This record gives sequence, C-alpha cells and structure tokens, in this order.
Amino acid sequence: MATLRFAALILLAACVGTEGPAPSSSGGTLVISAGATPDVLIPGVTASGLGNQISDLVFDRLAEIGDSLNIVGDRGFTPRLADRWSWSADSLSIAFHVNPRARWHDGQPVRAEDVRFTFESNRDSTMGSSAFALLGNVDSVTAPDSATAVFWFRSRAPQQFYDAVYLMPILPAHIWRDKPVASWRASAEARAPVGSGRYRFVRWTPRSSVELAADTMNYFGAPKLNRVIWSLSSDFNTAVTRFLSGEADFFEALRPENVSAIRNLPQVRIAQTKGLQYSFAQLNLRDPANRARPHPVFGDRELRRALTMAVDRGAIVRSVYDTLAFPALGPTTRMYTTTDPNLPQIPFDLARARATLDSLGWRDADGDGTRERNGRPLKFAVTVPGSSTARVRMAVLIQEQLRQAGVKVDVEQTDFRVFLDKMRRRAFDVVISGLQTQPSPGSVRQSWGTAGSRARDGSNYGSYESPVFDAYIDSALAAFDVPARRALFTKAYRTIIEDAPAIWLAEPIPTLGYHSRLQVAGMRPDAWWAHIGEWSIPEDKRIPRDNLPAAAPFSPAPSPADTAGRKAP
Amino acid sequence: MIVAFVAAISFALIHLAPGDPFSAAMDNPSVSDAVRENLRVQYGFDRPLPEQFARYISQLARGELGWSFSHNRPVRDVLAHAVPNTLLLMSIALIASFALGILVAVVQVTRRGSTTDGVLSGLSLLFLSMPDFWLAILALLTFTYWLPVFPVGGAVDPVMHEYMGLGGRILDRLKHLVLPALTLTLLAAATVARHQRAALLDVLPSDYIRTARLKGLTERAILRRHALRNATLPIISLIGLSFPALLTGAVFIERVFAWPGMGYALVNAIESRDYPLVVGSVIIGSVMVMLGSFLADMLYAWADPRLRAG
Repeated sequence: MATLRFAALILLAACVGTEGPAPSSSGGTLVISAGATPDVLIPGVTASGLGNQISDLVFDRLAEIGDSLNIVGDRGFTPRLADRWSWSADSLSIAFHVNPRARWHDGQPVRAEDVRFTFESNRDSTMGSSAFALLGNVDSVTAPDSATAVFWFRSRAPQQFYDAVYLMPILPAHIWRDKPVASWRASAEARAPVGSGRYRFVRWTPRSSVELAADTMNYFGAPKLNRVIWSLSSDFNTAVTRFLSGEADFFEALRPENVSAIRNLPQVRIAQTKGLQYSFAQLNLRDPANRARPHPVFGDRELRRALTMAVDRGAIVRSVYDTLAFPALGPTTRMYTTTDPNLPQIPFDLARARATLDSLGWRDADGDGTRERNGRPLKFAVTVPGSSTARVRMAVLIQEQLRQAGVKVDVEQTDFRVFLDKMRRRAFDVVISGLQTQPSPGSVRQSWGTAGSRARDGSNYGSYESPVFDAYIDSALAAFDVPARRALFTKAYRTIIEDAPAIWLAEPIPTLGYHSRLQVAGMRPDAWWAHIGEWSIPEDKRIPRDNLPAAAPFSPAPSPADTAGRKAP
Repeated sequence: MIVAFVAAISFALIHLAPGDPFSAAMDNPSVSDAVRENLRVQYGFDRPLPEQFARYISQLARGELGWSFSHNRPVRDVLAHAVPNTLLLMSIALIASFALGILVAVVQVTRRGSTTDGVLSGLSLLFLSMPDFWLAILALLTFTYWLPVFPVGGAVDPVMHEYMGLGGRILDRLKHLVLPALTLTLLAAATVARHQRAALLDVLPSDYIRTARLKGLTERAILRRHALRNATLPIISLIGLSFPALLTGAVFIERVFAWPGMGYALVNAIESRDYPLVVGSVIIGSVMVMLGSFLADMLYAWADPRLRAG
C-alpha cells in the first residue's frame, strides 16, 4: 500500500514537474540547497558538478541542445550565442554567426575571436578541460571576421555539431588571454567569472553561498527570476533539512527516505527526470600486482558470468533505491534513443551460478562456506567510497548474495579520495562505481573501450578490452541512419553484457524536490538547471526573500595587484 | 617548540594519507594525469617530503601559513575568517556551560537524594554519553524541521543577510548562533555539573562548613559563601581541560550546522587534502589550547589565595 501511495505521489509530482510556466512578471529568488561546494566557476576548468551548474548559467554556448538530447546533426539545437549557422558543401566546416547584440557582463561585445580563443584553450592540456579528449574531430577554429567563427572538422560525423557547441561554453578572451592557462584555476577571476549568460555573478561567500543575479540587459532576454542563490553546506543532512524546512526552494538529490518525509509537506513537490547515470560493480580484469597478467579470479569470463548470475540485481535496486532507480541495462541508460530497453541480461540464477563455479573447479572442499581451487579461496575485496550510502549498501548486499554462492567478499570502505586513487592506479579487485554520462553515448568509448584501457590516464579502470565491442561502438558513432545506429549500439551492448566485465547495478532516476510556489518550466535530463531562466514565482506566492533590491552593478574581480603578497606559491 | 612539534606531526600525517590537493580537488576522470602532474610540479608537490617540510617551516618562520588550494586564498585569510567564528562559539559555550553546570550542581546538592537530583543526574549522564554529532543532528531536526524556530545552518542567512539593517544583521547572527552554541553548551555543561556536584559533596563535610553552620548561617549562605568558593577550584582546572574538548566538539558541531569556523574548515580541508590549511588549522588549534590552559592557570592563581601568597 505504501509503495502504491508512493508511486502515485511520484506520478503526480512528475506531472507537476513538467508543467509550463505560468504568466508572471519577473522577480523572485530561487534558493538551491547544495550538499557540496564548487571548486571554481569557469567551464572547462571546474571539475565539480556544482561548478558546472553555476558556470552553465553564467556562460553561454553557441547553441543549446534540446530536451530530447538529439545529438545527430543540428536539428535538436536552438540558437544561443550564435544566432545562425551554415554548413559547408562538404559538411567539413560549420560557420557560426555570433549574435551582434551579445555582450559580456562587463559590457564588452562577444566576438568570434572569443570562440576561437575558447577552442584553443580547451585544446591546451594544461587547462585540464573535460572537453580535451572529446574534441578530437575538431581540427581548428578560425575567425575570418569579428562575427564569424568557423569550425573545421577532420571528418564527417553524425555528432559534429554537438562536438562544436555542447562541449565548450564560450569564454571572454579579453579576460583570460594574458594569463597562462595553467594559472586559471588559482586566479581570482575563476571565482568571480564574467560570462555572457542570462545570469551574472554577484558574490561567492566561501562555504556559505554563491549568488547570481539576472542580467536584465541580456541579448537573449532577461530571465524571469531575479536571483539564483546556492546555499552551500558540506553535509547532506544539513542540505536536505535546509530544503525541507523551507529555507531553500530546491534540492537536487532526494533519497528514498527524504521522499517519504516529503509526503507530509504539502508545500513541496517532487520532480523526476530521465537519468544519465548508472552504477556498477567493476571487476578488474588485470592482476593489480602485475598488470601484464590477467586477474587470478576475474580473468576468467565464465567465472565473471557466474558471479553476475549469483547476484539478484533487481532485489538490490529495490532494497537500496526503492522505486527511485531501475536495474542498469549495461554501460548505458534508458535515456538514449540508441538504447534498447529490452537488452537481454545475464539472468539471476543461483543454482546455475553454483553449477558453473563447480564446473570451473571452484569447490568448497573444506566445508568452510568458501570455494577454493588449487588451494586459493574464491575471495576478493569490493572497494566502495564510504561517503556514498547507496554504494555501501549495494556492496553489503552483494557480499551477502555471493556468500550464498560460496564466494567470500570483503567490503572495503574508503575515503572518496582513496577510492579514486585506487581506481586510477587500478589497484583493486572490484569497485562499486558510477558514471554520469553525456548526451552522446560515445563517452562509452573512454569508459569501456580498449583505448580507455591502454591510455596511461584512461578511464577504463577495469581494463576490459574487446575488439568486437570497439568495432560496434565505432560503427555506431559513425552511422547517420538512426535505426542502423541503434542496431549497432545494441550489438555493442550485448557483447559487453555477455562478457560481464562488470555487474550492472542501478540506473538512478534523478529525483528533485522543489517548493510549490516555484513554477518549473521543464528540466533537461543532462542539466536540470538549463531552463532556470524560464522558471518563475507568481507574485501572489512571493515571500520576503523574493523582493530583494536590485543587485549591485558589475564589479570586476580583484586584480593580482589587489592581492599582492597573497599569490599562490 | 610545541608548535613546531605539532606542525611536524600534522604535516607528516596528512602527507601520509593517499591523494593530494590535485587528486582531491579534481575528481573528474577526464582531467588527465598530465594536468595533475603539471600542477604538482607547479606547487612543489613533486619534491621529496623533507624538502617540502623544510620549505613549509621556513615559510612558517616568516609568519606565512601557505596557500589554501580548496579556497584559492592564503591560509591566513581563511583562518582569519574561521577562527573568530570558532572562538565566538567556544566562548559562549564555555561561559554558558560553566554557568549551567554549576547551577545544576548547586540544585542537586541542595536537594540531595530528591527526585530532582535523580532526574538532573540522569540528564547529565545522558548528555555526557551522547556523541556530539548525534545531539547536533537531533537539535537540527527538532528545532529546524519539526519545530522550525531556528535557521538550519551557517553563520548568517545566505540570502537576506546582505540586505538587512544593522539590527537585523545582529539578530540574524544571534539566531544562527543559538543551535550550535546550545548543543556545545549542553555537552560541556554535563561534564561541569558532574564535577561540580562531586566537588561540592567533598567540601560540605569540611570543618569550616560545620563551623559556619554552628555560627547560625543558613544553608544557602553556607553554600554560596563557603562551599561554592572552595569547590570552584577543581572546576577552574576543568576550564583548561575543556578547551581541547570544546575544540574537538566544535569540529563536529560546525560540520552539522555548517558553521563557518575552524572545525568546518579543517574537516573540509582534510577531505580535499588541502595540506597547508590542515596544518595551519592544527597549529592554530594547538595555540588556542595552549592559551586556554594558560588562562586556566591564571584564573586558578587568582582564585586560590594559597597560590597568590606564594
């Protein structure tokens, strides 16, 4: 009964979450409670999710991706900094025309040179841009005149346009040109950004709040909300209590236990978006002690399949997430149109798992409950970051389920930094990990492809290598025909699911809470904040914080001279 | 000497933990190892540990605490904002906990063996055995969610404070101070009450108390003028001992209430492997504890005529 009530609540909330904006004059303050703090506020340089959120509102891209996240061609995109664009006859270049009314928040005009400069910066390895590895198909960017930026591509590809616009919000060259790219992270400007977006930076009080104000003269039109403020705390409980008590209007990461608390709060709504996250237990296929050798346990494909068969993934997802997640399908999510939601899985079958382990020679000869082969017990460690309650719970459930198959699992909880360090050094047996993917399913190449396994700093930490999988992914990404693309991705996913380099666990459904006075005009699956400029608070529902006086005019970040004697060593 | 020792220990321990400021702050897998390596070289983390320590100590000798990577500011500036907040919280908790603890002990002693004595003993034992973070979370839920009378966290309202008048700002600060101060006070008061009660019970059978009774003084006057004064000396010693405990308690309480003090900064710095801020916070913390002990010694000397006499 409780589950039914909960499902009804979710349905109702989902309907509310997608309602259109009510007619309303501008005004109002949106307070977002965040259980984290940003590092810096410059796109490309920031490595934190919160930094991305904030910088996405301050900076603009040439064009914005649509809510369907269609990345093939340019049909799903709408103009932003570029008011129009044209393709060359051979489709190897795209000329973007920069909106002549676009201005940086310090009053300078946005020019094509800013686009060229942004591309060059992202291609500078010292910037540490997340776009660096994904811009391989863009050969260069030129600025033949102040209003035209031309992207030149190495080859035709379905997601050329996406590569050009999605990965790089445009930076102001006049602010950054004279600073070495490697020094950007530590600069004062990285904490007081100047962008061209519909919100401009006002202040950042460390560990307390970040405030943005509407850019009322913006070329794209003033946003409806006057202010967006992130109220920062490092503790999840504090952040969620701040939201539930009404001090904040929005919270982005509700857990099942929070959702049950919200049932008693009529002023709070729940919204769910399609997710781009999935979690998995990644098996290390190489021996951590000597990567030249296969892992003594997980090097065997049949054994990996038997372990997968012994894990009831559906029960784990229900236990940990209640109804706030689906069992994961593979290295993908249901959000992608290229993903077949009926991908065949290795089924949960404990009896068959036991039989397979027996046939592989792993038997419990001494009756201690753990199988052995040639004197080596079938045991390994599952490493999990202690900061993630969900992952710890999943690890414990896997431990118990595998125990029933005669496999001994030690759950090793670590500090998140230690966890990352172990992954990067590939010094683990199994890690419970999660990935937030991008609108392009192509990021699977870095996480599960051979290139990601062999590159020194590749992110295929389990070292799964399959030429068949690689070939299907490469072919899928090169296919312009949508059904063919989907068929090739399906073949790739079936290959990796059968090879079982990981136990695919959960695909969380992003569950967000917001105050009922807020009129939420849609949430984009990759970035719920993308449409904040269209969100509003009707006048009759405003509270004192919605009626704050206008924010102070732009003031530049302190120059290095102002911080003399305070420079980084 | 002590500060140098503390600096060396904390420097060594934090460097022994896996990761560094760049693996910590840049947990994005798409940030390449080459970029991390560049940053390590740029900030000297590629040098041998003894060399890094020697550089840190020479910097410390010049009064520089280094650069905070997680705040992108000098450690001196970060602590200049955080230390006053922690001192404010600790001072209020110290004064309030001693006042409350002594009051509770006096009530218990005057009503020895009564139900009130039993209830107060039980309560002080409860607070004494309760983990600080647990009480903080309980207070947070009780007074901000179930009974929303106080703000959830921070030192000020992140939205409205900048737009308030002077009176409003003061009131805003006080409202934000109540819950963390109350939590810290309750925890410390339990210790004070139990010590003070034991000290009073030790003093009451003394000859001079009996003499006072024979002189016809009321129990209240005896307690106030004679017993309490003499039973205060062990409590003054407790002030010195309370400083480290309060500072440790403040670490957890600041974290739960997002109070922007030194404890909050320290925990976040440890998580992000912000070496200079960790070591700087530990040094300042040890200095605060030393000053607290010194203050307690001075008070003790002032309160005990035997020490003043020489």
